[in-house]
Amino acid sequence: MKEITLKDFFDKNKNRFALSLITDEKTLNNSITSPHINRPGLALAGFLSRFSADRIQVLGETEIRYLQSLKEDEVYERVKSMFTYRIPCLIVTKGLTLPYIVEYLANEMSITVFSTRLSTVNLYQTLSKYLNTLFAPEMTIHATLIEVYGIGIMLTGKSGIGKSECALDLVHRGHSLVSDDTVKITAIDDNLLGYPAKDFGHFMEIRGVGLVNVERMFGIQRVRQHLKIDMQIELMPWRENMDYERIGLINNFVEHLGINIPITYLPVSPGKNVSVIVEVAAMNFILKNYGYDAAEDYTNKIQEEIKRKSLLRKINISQSHSNS
Amino acid sequence: MIEKTIEVVNKLGVHARPSAMLVKTATKFRSEFHIEKEGMKVNGKSIMGVMMLAAECGSELNIIIDGPDEEYLLKEIEKLFKEKFGEIE
Repeated sequence: MKEITLKDFFDKNKNRFALSLITDEKTLNNSITSPHINRPGLALAGFLSRFSADRIQVLGETEIRYLQSLKEDEVYERVKSMFTYRIPCLIVTKGLTLPYIVEYLANEMSITVFSTRLSTVNLYQTLSKYLNTLFAPEMTIHATLIEVYGIGIMLTGKSGIGKSECALDLVHRGHSLVSDDTVKITAIDDNLLGYPAKDFGHFMEIRGVGLVNVERMFGIQRVRQHLKIDMQIELMPWRENMDYERIGLINNFVEHLGINIPITYLPVSPGKNVSVIVEVAAMNFILKNYGYDAAEDYTNKIQEEIKRKSLLRKINISQSHSNS
Repeated sequence: MIEKTIEVVNKLGVHARPSAMLVKTATKFRSEFHIEKEGMKVNGKSIMGVMMLAAECGSELNIIIDGPDEEYLLKEIEKLFKEKFGEIE
């Protein structure tokens, strides 16, 4: 399970979320372990049986007004029983003033309280997005990620099949590289995103030449730091009698981190220009996204032709019957 | 070399799926495989060619097979047509 310490969170995001620390710095030892946010209205009202205590708790105008409407000893009791759960932190929005008793209890029980200038809605949106990215599932995969005509293509296949050589050819033809050999992927919302596995720069290994720095050699416009992965192309050695897709009416999918993306199995043989085929696959993907499917179009035409001819045949048969 | 006339008996004719089945079967064999219909002769191992014939139900195809395993290939091709390419009527 991922987590981030509050100190880290505060240091990195002070400006982004317009945060200031209300409680003592000593309280920053806790960690955030959940990507979710909670508004503890019901908890403050005393209903604690389903309290999501592991989440960041946000106090907006409603909660603050509610607390102000209570007597001091009531506030003390309610907040104290909420704080006995180990909540990661409390964030007060719109720069509202917290009743002093809450601040006192927070320091006593070592619960962090931040204040932000953002409105509750604003904080919710930005914080959610940040936490979702931070807690998104991720993994590394043996692949090469490249952008071709704006389409994110992940090349996979056994070591030595020619992923890097293909990517190099594509970069040479004006496309851009995200990562060679190892790609870090994360799932955010319904999208699969890919990044270089390490921040060492865009190096690639070309057998026979050695390491090549793509950014130095081809320029900054030929490299990218992250990319949405739209499809996967698996390079495989060409084998006779193997059942390759001939028309393209069947779409295959592959799953990564719970997200399905289309996959194309591409047979590779010596002398075959794989990069051109990858470009064609990317363009076909774009056309399909725009609603044009070549396989469908062509087979529909064939089907119409067959129908027309069957009809003619029936007419001819019935005519010859009536003649005889 | 063997030549044989086969009638298309499945209702939908030789559309995309049957064409793919024919080509898939044919490429497993070494023999050359051609299909002729109304003067148009296409290579039976090329999917574009086979589809282009647009052979409707009731039409007749001239099958020409030439090679070391021609008889086996013919048997399989005949079987495909006879079984109506697995079409459900």
